[in-house]
Amino acid sequence: MHLASFIVRRLLQLIPTLLFILIVVFVLVRLLPGDPASAILGDRALDADVERINRELGLDRSLPVQFAVFAKSVATGNLGNSIHLKLPVAELIAARLPITILLTVMAALIAVLFAVPLAFVAALRRGRAADSVVRGAFQVGLSMPVFYLGLILLTVFGARLGWFPVGGYGDGFLDHLYHLFLPALTLALSLSAILMRNLRAAIIGVIDAEYVQFARAKGLRPRLILSRHVLRNALISTVALFGLSIGTLLGGAVITETVFAIPGAGRLMVDSIYGRDYPVVQGLTIALAVLVSLTFLLTDLVQAWLDPRVAR
Amino acid sequence: MTDVTTPMMAARRRRVLPRPLIFGATILLASAVVAVFPAQVAPYDPNAFDYGALLQAPTSAHPMGTDNFGRDVLSRVLHAYTIDMQIAFFATVFPFLFGTVVGALVGYAGGWAEVIFGRIVDAVITFPFLVLVIAIVSVLGPGLVNMYIAVGVVGWVFYARIIAAEVRVQKRLDYADAGRAMGYTHARIIFVHLLPNAITPAIVYWMTDMALAILLGSSLGYLGLGAQPPAAEWGVQIADGKNFMATAWWISVFPGLAIVLTGLGFSLTGDGLAELLRTKR
Amino acid sequence: MTQAPALEVRNLTTTFAGGRLTAVNDVSFTVLPGEVLGLVGESGSGKSVTLRSIMRLLPASGAVSGHVRWQGRDILTMSDADLRGVRGGQISMIFQEPMTALNPVLPVFTQIEENLKAHTDLDRAARAARARDLMDLVGIPDAARRLKEYPHQFSGGMRQRVMIAIALAGNPTLLLADEPTTALDVTIQDQILKLILDLRDELSMSVVLVTHDLGVVAATCDRIAVMYAGRIVETGTVRDVFAQPAHAYTRGLLGSVPHAGTERSMLLSIEGTPPPLDRIPAGCAFNPRCDFATGPCRARVPVLEDLAPGRSVACFNRTAVTAAGSPV
Repeated sequence: MHLASFIVRRLLQLIPTLLFILIVVFVLVRLLPGDPASAILGDRALDADVERINRELGLDRSLPVQFAVFAKSVATGNLGNSIHLKLPVAELIAARLPITILLTVMAALIAVLFAVPLAFVAALRRGRAADSVVRGAFQVGLSMPVFYLGLILLTVFGARLGWFPVGGYGDGFLDHLYHLFLPALTLALSLSAILMRNLRAAIIGVIDAEYVQFARAKGLRPRLILSRHVLRNALISTVALFGLSIGTLLGGAVITETVFAIPGAGRLMVDSIYGRDYPVVQGLTIALAVLVSLTFLLTDLVQAWLDPRVAR
Repeated sequence: MTDVTTPMMAARRRRVLPRPLIFGATILLASAVVAVFPAQVAPYDPNAFDYGALLQAPTSAHPMGTDNFGRDVLSRVLHAYTIDMQIAFFATVFPFLFGTVVGALVGYAGGWAEVIFGRIVDAVITFPFLVLVIAIVSVLGPGLVNMYIAVGVVGWVFYARIIAAEVRVQKRLDYADAGRAMGYTHARIIFVHLLPNAITPAIVYWMTDMALAILLGSSLGYLGLGAQPPAAEWGVQIADGKNFMATAWWISVFPGLAIVLTGLGFSLTGDGLAELLRTKR
Repeated sequence: MTQAPALEVRNLTTTFAGGRLTAVNDVSFTVLPGEVLGLVGESGSGKSVTLRSIMRLLPASGAVSGHVRWQGRDILTMSDADLRGVRGGQISMIFQEPMTALNPVLPVFTQIEENLKAHTDLDRAARAARARDLMDLVGIPDAARRLKEYPHQFSGGMRQRVMIAIALAGNPTLLLADEPTTALDVTIQDQILKLILDLRDELSMSVVLVTHDLGVVAATCDRIAVMYAGRIVETGTVRDVFAQPAHAYTRGLLGSVPHAGTERSMLLSIEGTPPPLDRIPAGCAFNPRCDFATGPCRARVPVLEDLAPGRSVACFNRTAVTAAGSPV
């Protein structure tokens, strides 16, 4: 009842957000110095070619018209054509983005699997050796660049030990999972460090709460107190942080896919930048921003489910 | 039950520098010295080819080995401090300054300014930061200055958000009213009275941000969109060595350790500062 | 008079910060079956810590010594498994602020049901039925619907009733109530106190009621123990202590009770505030605030001495205090 109206309200809020994403991409593209045509064609382009590109991109019309055309075509799923691959951008994204989504979902799962137990160990042994070790690992995890960690994991577990493939995506779902494991692990490290720190602090904040004392006074088993009373309340703020981190995670996926030669959206992004395939970069930027806002929506719902006060 | 906090507060009152701050500041100080005087501490010219010493494993003559051009990896790692510490500073100082001013104005003005600013924040956090920076750099062209521009376009928002929140709290306190009652100008109230009290969380965030800037700068360097070869930059070096990981791991591994160490320096300093400033309050 | 006590606390001492701070100092008292004992003092006097020490509900920095005898066993030395059986089962506790003591993200039913699950053999359906009965028992109408709701959907008084319902789930024979009415409006306070007394009669429980409000004690308790700076300074039946306080602190507290017809506000008849734990004065801890203080008060700690059976006081100048009469 409450939750349903909350979902509807939240979905309606998505509309202005999506519009805003389009405006930002549109404005950004027009504000940046250097016109797309010469970016595509290089400095020594012929005037006729520049004009042709400008016409193709609709750049010869007034700004509001350009935006209306742009918004309408994006809304109908038309993101233009790739300059090099000669394919519709929407098709390219539809083919590549699922790989990136699978990678980020795996990374998020691994990060949570690491973060939750470690946060508990650190919080329950606050100030002791285990806490120091976990927090030290956190600091290192945050300072470790994704491409560096990926390179090391790839070399050690892929090339040297041969436990995992050294790149690519494989065939079939299980093979995909197998191929994506090392990249997902790479991507998970810094996220799990961030989640761990937040969850540790949240657990410490909750563990002395009156309702936890009350739960102890009820004679409940410690395990039940931790899972039902401590973890659930501590997770509320961590879920919000998780939502906010999804952009960072997707950014990391761009690099990870490059390191591990995974044909996902991130790799497509980097290739398109090298090739100055400007419509693809624009389309991917929009697609990733939409993906982030959908994730925000999802984490908001999880938060509302965890905390009945949110959905009021 | 409230009595229980007394000993903790007593311990906080003791004037000791937090240990993370001591470790972090030591690392940063050493990094800064190397960044300013790389030629004095590095044993070799970072760009000198030595075809008689290609891909040599670490020895006493080359403690971090040599790369595929016979360049001394240690010397390149040390010279890279100049570029990477610059990235840490220049990629963050303009967002810090601009964001601080905007945040102070927004927080002080409130009302519509805050609503509009809130929409900007929403938009910015919707775009994956790295993706946006890469997209901007792709149009502007690779290179450090374009990277600073790309980071600056987005980065100021985070500082402004922190400062605006603090100023909002500060302006409700009595001394802000006193300032208004004494007829001070808005500018004087904001920048002389409110900002000094609001700026500490932004400074703590600045430290974290510098660590993130090094990660970002080296990532772009690795992708070929940041510092350009043959410049000695950690990300570039790691990219240079990536095809030799199986045979000459030292080319990539040591620059990576430098990134981790410097990042640790910044984040430990940030944590330590936060602890210190919390104690003082 | 010779009835065996339900709960016997002997030489209970609770320290924090590795023994440097003493919050509860050599406290002894008994609770008889069916009796309501009021544990009274200003905030910081150690009464809440005493209550939590009995249940071993202290933060990790706290250390408890002494004995808490309950049904032939010592709670302070029993195993964790045995302790879980006592907590919530035989002895229940309710807290001052139901808003923070109830878990905000769980429906009320879950919070009652988990207690039933821990302390009874009832099956799922029986637990649901018992949860509804408990809601009825504490006077919450429309039990079936309200069980599905969350704490923030209840009013303050209803929330405290929910907490009492949870506390009663395990059929306790002793209820420890930590300032159960302090957070409530005056009219609601009286309702909750009446509810506790009714339940005491109905379920033949004993109650230890911690409060700073002597008005509450007068209305509900059989006996009273007054605490100051971690020690019990005076005990006796409510009637005796109110009629003739023998400790200057008790007399001061009684002086601050609002009388019939006056505003219900704290009339400050005792100057100053209780000492913090790290600065407890030498001698009688109350001497700096005491109108009756003499030389010995600053030199030695007075011990509890019996005035009559069940009536004791720790004051060097009790004759002078008694002679000054009750301010009530």
